[in-house]
Amino acid sequence: MKLLRIYRALLTAQLQATAQYRAQAFLYVLFSVIRPIVFLAAWVAVANARGGSVGSFDVADFAGYFIALTLVSHLCMSWFAWEFEQDVAQGNLSPRLLRPLHPIHYAAAANISYKIVTSIGLLPILLLVAVSFHARFQTTLEHLLLFIPSMILAAVLSFLFDWVQASTAFWITRSSQVSFVLGRVSFIFGGQIAPLALLPGVLGTIAYALPFGYMLAVPADILRGGVDPARGLLLVGAQALWVLLFYAALQRVWRAGVREYSAVGA
Amino acid sequence: MNAPVFVRDLAKSYRVHEREEGLGAAMRALVKRRYRDVRAVDGITFEIGEGEVVGFLGPNGAGKTTTLKMLAGLLYPTSGEATVLGHTPWLRESRFLTQITLLMGNRSQLVWDIPAADSFRVLQQIYEIGESDYRVRLDELSDLLDLGPLLHKPVRQLSLGERMKVEFAASLVHAPRVIFLDEPTIGLDVTAQTRIRRFVADYNRRTGATILLTSHYMDDVVALCRRVLVIHHGKLLYDGGLADLATRMAPYKLVVVTLADGASPRFDEFGEVVASEEGRTTVRVPRESAAERTAAIIRAFEQQVVDLSVEDPPIEEVIDRVFSGERPLSQVRS
Repeated sequence: MKLLRIYRALLTAQLQATAQYRAQAFLYVLFSVIRPIVFLAAWVAVANARGGSVGSFDVADFAGYFIALTLVSHLCMSWFAWEFEQDVAQGNLSPRLLRPLHPIHYAAAANISYKIVTSIGLLPILLLVAVSFHARFQTTLEHLLLFIPSMILAAVLSFLFDWVQASTAFWITRSSQVSFVLGRVSFIFGGQIAPLALLPGVLGTIAYALPFGYMLAVPADILRGGVDPARGLLLVGAQALWVLLFYAALQRVWRAGVREYSAVGA
Repeated sequence: MNAPVFVRDLAKSYRVHEREEGLGAAMRALVKRRYRDVRAVDGITFEIGEGEVVGFLGPNGAGKTTTLKMLAGLLYPTSGEATVLGHTPWLRESRFLTQITLLMGNRSQLVWDIPAADSFRVLQQIYEIGESDYRVRLDELSDLLDLGPLLHKPVRQLSLGERMKVEFAASLVHAPRVIFLDEPTIGLDVTAQTRIRRFVADYNRRTGATILLTSHYMDDVVALCRRVLVIHHGKLLYDGGLADLATRMAPYKLVVVTLADGASPRFDEFGEVVASEEGRTTVRVPRESAAERTAAIIRAFEQQVVDLSVEDPPIEEVIDRVFSGERPLSQVRS
């Protein structure tokens, strides 16, 4: 109950702060739609050149996938590692460490409020793209019921993953470069360039052994009805395992990192 | 151990990357790095009693802020022990954090884009302050700091002085029992400094909170602290009354003599003349012979003396003498 009350107050404050930057929110929405649409357009061109499909994906499937992926990546986005580098280097973390509330909660509230504000602009655009590309969704009620936990787990996993990376700032001054490199890896293995099912040979196997796909491609595939519910359930279980793993990792890294913190400046 | 703040042999070393200037050294540092341990705090011991306001003095880099950060739980020490209200600070237990505050003059804790009142609501929930207590405390802080409309303006629109007052309120809304203030008046104009000083004194009187304060402005220390800790190169040089500081650190007094008609005869035989203008001369005399020399001055210029006073040197000067190495450290240790 205490945490709920804190979150209500934090969200009230954060929503006001986020709502002040309309231009930033607009640009963000634009940016988050442009990239998947470029990939979608490329895959549509490839599919058309090959007689209408690539593997099991035709143009309407690609549209469904990239639209679902855009929504998922929007709801999963976590950018904390980029800010935390400065917070540690300049000592801005100090005031938050002095409060009897783990700093992760401030970041979580900021993350949620930003998504609430930006989703308002994103959803109509996604709807428009879906209609224009005749996107195919084979979603059943079972898929929708699976999508909810899958989406939540993906968002939590992405957030924890981000925090583990962020915590490297206690040791590495330019820790955002760690995020930069991992972002590139996620580009391939998260399903941002292509659906995981289309990754050639061993790359597909690797993708399912790494955490990136569980933050993006897996919930996207479930949302568009691209996996059968039994396999979907298995994938959600794998997501839960990754969440547990990163939660444990964060506990260890954070505890060790705070000992290293030198609270520079003040 | 029953004192609200207890510190024994506390030390903190930082590992610092070191290299020569120039491109060659930068390239070498890519392959092999050289590190040096810097001892920021070097085994200090002290206690602060309930309700005391203690000034922590020292030049930049002396170890004041590092000590404060350890006592507030931000830093892990390299060795030694400390308890604040019975808790080991760096374990950062919730029970500990709800009873202390560290206000840093050059660090903001408020959300810049929204009015402070909204940030205060967050603090109310974090510290689990009931609505009526919250109202009473906020009214009291508003009253003492004259916050009024400031709480309802976005923080980024406040002036530095206004923001500092709001920061104070944000740091104290949970009614901490131990307060660490690190340069609370830095960058403020004289009026704002005076107001903050008055506020800290009032707050201490009203709540009985224990306060440890660092400041480069001696006026802050003189106005608020009867006791001071002096730290230099990480070592505690002095722990005692502010009044005794001059006695221990400066072995001299200043005799200020004003003669009639602006006369300025030679005073060299009485002591070292440190200032002389329009008949007003300041002579530095050894502390132990101050009475005797003053009597000699009166005897010598009996008819001409208009005014005469014997003073301790200004506290800034006393401290400066110690920090500049003019006064051997062994002689000032309490």
